[in-house]
Amino acid sequence: MIDFSSFLVLDGGMGTLLQEKGLSLGGVPEVWNLEKSDIITEIHRNYVKAGSDVVYTNTFGCNRLKMARTGHSVQELVQSAVQNARNSGAKYVALDIGPIGQMLEPTGTLSFEEAFDIFREQIEAGIDTDLIVFETMSDLLEVRAGVLAAKEFGNGKPIFVTMSFEENGRTFTGCEIPAMALTLEGLGVDAIGVNCSLGPEELVPIVKMLCEWTTLPVIVKPNAGLPDPVTNTYNFTAEKFGECMKPFVKMGAVIFGGCCGTTPEHIQKLTETLSQLSPIERKPVIPSAVCTANHTVIINQPRIIGERINPTGKKRFKQALKEHDTDYIMNQAIQQIDAGADILDVNVGLPEIDEVEMMQSAVKAIQSITDTPLQLDTTDPIALEAGLRIYNGKPIVNSVNGEEKSLATVLPLVKKYGASVVGLTLDENGIPKTADGRFAIAERILNRALALGIRREDVYIDCLTLTASAEQEGVMETLRAVTRVKQELGLHTVLGVSNISFGLPNRELVTRNFLTMALYAGLDLPIINPNTESMVSSVRTYKLLANIDKNAVDFINHYGNDTASAPKPAPTSNNNMSLESAISAGLKSEASTITKQLLATTDPMEIVNTQLIPALDKAGSDFEKGKIFLPQLISSASAAQGAFESIKTYLSEHSTETVNRGTIVLATVKGDIHDIGKNIVKVLLENYGYQVIDLGKDVPLETVAEATERYHAPLVGLSALMTTTLPSMEGTIKLLNERCPWCQTVVGGAVLTADYAEKIGADYYANDAKETVDIAKKVFGN
Amino acid sequence: MNISHVDRVQAFRYLRLPSEPDAHFLEMADVCEKQLLSMISPKYVYRIFPIVQTENGISGGGLLLRGNDIANHLKGCSQVIFLCATLSAGADRAIRQSSASDILSGMITDTMANAVIEQVCDNAEQEIFATLPSHYFTWRFSAGYGDFPLDTQADFLKVLNAEKRLGVTLSESDLLIPTKTVTAVIGVSETPISKGKKGCAICNLSEKCPYRAKGVHCHD
Repeated sequence: MIDFSSFLVLDGGMGTLLQEKGLSLGGVPEVWNLEKSDIITEIHRNYVKAGSDVVYTNTFGCNRLKMARTGHSVQELVQSAVQNARNSGAKYVALDIGPIGQMLEPTGTLSFEEAFDIFREQIEAGIDTDLIVFETMSDLLEVRAGVLAAKEFGNGKPIFVTMSFEENGRTFTGCEIPAMALTLEGLGVDAIGVNCSLGPEELVPIVKMLCEWTTLPVIVKPNAGLPDPVTNTYNFTAEKFGECMKPFVKMGAVIFGGCCGTTPEHIQKLTETLSQLSPIERKPVIPSAVCTANHTVIINQPRIIGERINPTGKKRFKQALKEHDTDYIMNQAIQQIDAGADILDVNVGLPEIDEVEMMQSAVKAIQSITDTPLQLDTTDPIALEAGLRIYNGKPIVNSVNGEEKSLATVLPLVKKYGASVVGLTLDENGIPKTADGRFAIAERILNRALALGIRREDVYIDCLTLTASAEQEGVMETLRAVTRVKQELGLHTVLGVSNISFGLPNRELVTRNFLTMALYAGLDLPIINPNTESMVSSVRTYKLLANIDKNAVDFINHYGNDTASAPKPAPTSNNNMSLESAISAGLKSEASTITKQLLATTDPMEIVNTQLIPALDKAGSDFEKGKIFLPQLISSASAAQGAFESIKTYLSEHSTETVNRGTIVLATVKGDIHDIGKNIVKVLLENYGYQVIDLGKDVPLETVAEATERYHAPLVGLSALMTTTLPSMEGTIKLLNERCPWCQTVVGGAVLTADYAEKIGADYYANDAKETVDIAKKVFGN
Repeated sequence: MNISHVDRVQAFRYLRLPSEPDAHFLEMADVCEKQLLSMISPKYVYRIFPIVQTENGISGGGLLLRGNDIANHLKGCSQVIFLCATLSAGADRAIRQSSASDILSGMITDTMANAVIEQVCDNAEQEIFATLPSHYFTWRFSAGYGDFPLDTQADFLKVLNAEKRLGVTLSESDLLIPTKTVTAVIGVSETPISKGKKGCAICNLSEKCPYRAKGVHCHD
């Protein structure tokens, strides 16, 4: 066990020292573990002599991707590195792991699962070390993959994580300090901190904030100042470096070392500084909070949980789940966030779909476009774990209840993944009628959570809203339970509010008033439909009246310019406006509203065939003639998308009919991550009623062939923007010709030409989205 | 680096907007610009090296610069600036976010990001050039132009330590990620140099270039 009651001294830089010893530009430092082991051991030994308790193995980039061209295996290199470090006589040898060097999805192309496996290999190779260190990390999701691999394959070794922050308090990928602290302390790492990117002076505010957000020992491992662009030398002498570490000791950091530009002399001076000081005990109070990598929501006031990502009672949502339409789910997310949701509940359970896969897809899709924390809502523990595993940040689990089976399966997952949890006050005997009965279950859930090491601040209790129409006497019991849980257990509370008004007229009135009562009773996390303006405005008003929204800043911000606090009118169609002119002008919400009005009197397919498509055709032909330009064409397509969504919603509610003029598989080819062009094509094709199976970007050849087989798609569209990815396009076409001889291919993208398309065996070349539609019409004969 | 506005003239030109866009479009552009600028964190790193003639060609900082086009570009120069600038992963996030709510705003955001990364490079150049008074500079030449091979990127990023210092990585197919990232080679000379034109001959898109079709240049 490592003793954190006194200072722990790490080592300093390795890379610059190796360059001094003759490592060339193309040289791989890790290969020197084998080829120049004496030099590596000597550097380690110099650090030990200078005072380092811990030396990091020379394995920063020692993963299978970066080592691919060295001719050596990860295992061979890591094991020799461990031996070299051991030979230095260091008290502790740390397995050093840096970033993989490829960015994870969605910005990059590496999947979470691949990242996990890359780290697993490194950790297994370095099993004979005393601790595992992840350093210079920028992407919290990548860190999570590494920490989970270390937890699952590291034989219980201590885990340290340091990330690199910029002066704005964020990493390159935007990860903020509280999010790092909440997520990693939740995952159960042993010490966290900062390294690289900045010098000691710039790190002061960053370390200060980190110390306020974690109870774990804090690590500080800065560069020796900042590098000179001409000489590449760092501007801090060893003396200055040692001196500059004093403020960090005062803040309570206990683990120190150096990064780029630091040498054994720097560590020597650091050790001298520390020898004159003693560790300061910190007692930070970490609030209840949930987060994504880039955004933290502190539960120190009522926070709105949006309830709309849930198929219950929503035919259009169920249809989207069946069609694996993550775009629809992403749209639901955006709408709720724009309306004022602080957290989004995600429930994608439907008997006829694979909920485990859908949970992962939904979490990935939503996290690719928003920073809003999520509440994973499922009764299936496997789906829950699938979501928790890939979630980037600290989510809420919805939910555990007082039943033994639930406590025994859900709480260990909450602990392992460091989430917060909603405890429902029901058990084997159902929902207790009285506040006291529910309070007792809340207490039981809390005690079980505490026994597992889950923090009190991470348990939120749902005292359960009963329907007023059926159990009128229960309403006040719920509220009494809320108050008791809040006051006596000191826990935060959550309630699904909308249920209160079920079966009553004027539901909104009932729900809104119950919401205000519940907030006054102590509700912190109302689960509501934020798209209903009166719900959100009730929460805002409560915060104003309860003196939470100081000086009414937020309230005035939202309603100050209001021409009356009346809800915003939905865009109404101007009586003279036709669907065609709305589409032509690119007015999406108008197009949607006009379509809804038309649906009252007109057959949906008739709208598609006699209004929507002709309007698009006109835009398309104007585009071809050069009367309008690409942005205007897309603007029309976007408006038509609004109209189409109204039609889809209508059809899912009123019939089993769907619009499908033919199925087309679309993909941006393997290796390419530019998907705007493909997305434009998709919107246009969907507008014309084609069913588009969008495989996304960086799509492996086999995935395209499999989808084409599964849907027996007559047409496949492939996009590539870069010259380097054209071979993937050619490969995909070849594979399609072998496996799916019935399908035809259309290709497009910036660097493609008709000649080249022909050369690689494509059936069609499309210069733009409009041409793709023309080709689809030809292929499908419609 | 702080960027206060998007160079709309450039962005709209990339979008091939015909003339003054309509109010609806401008409203959308305002939203996209605000969101984009709030999400990016533009930054750059650079290093300056003397140009060395080796038997295999010219090199700087130990990096061999292969191809005739880069050699021509650096003709008469004694030093070379390696520059890498990025808008960071925030730009990619902004583009994804706006695309998810509306494809047109996605496209506008993407195009604006292209304009902004050029602005960042321009500003970076100004700052770097100020450290080299009474010198002359070429325009920015990037791997992938002409016969300057794209696979130079990996070592180029290594020389600049761009992964650690900027968070810039290279995908397996040699794409820079975050996507709104630029690397460039700039020649430095003590005597005036003919800047040359960013000619079409070295451009991968010349075959289907709409500007060229009209007899003009993309950089006019």
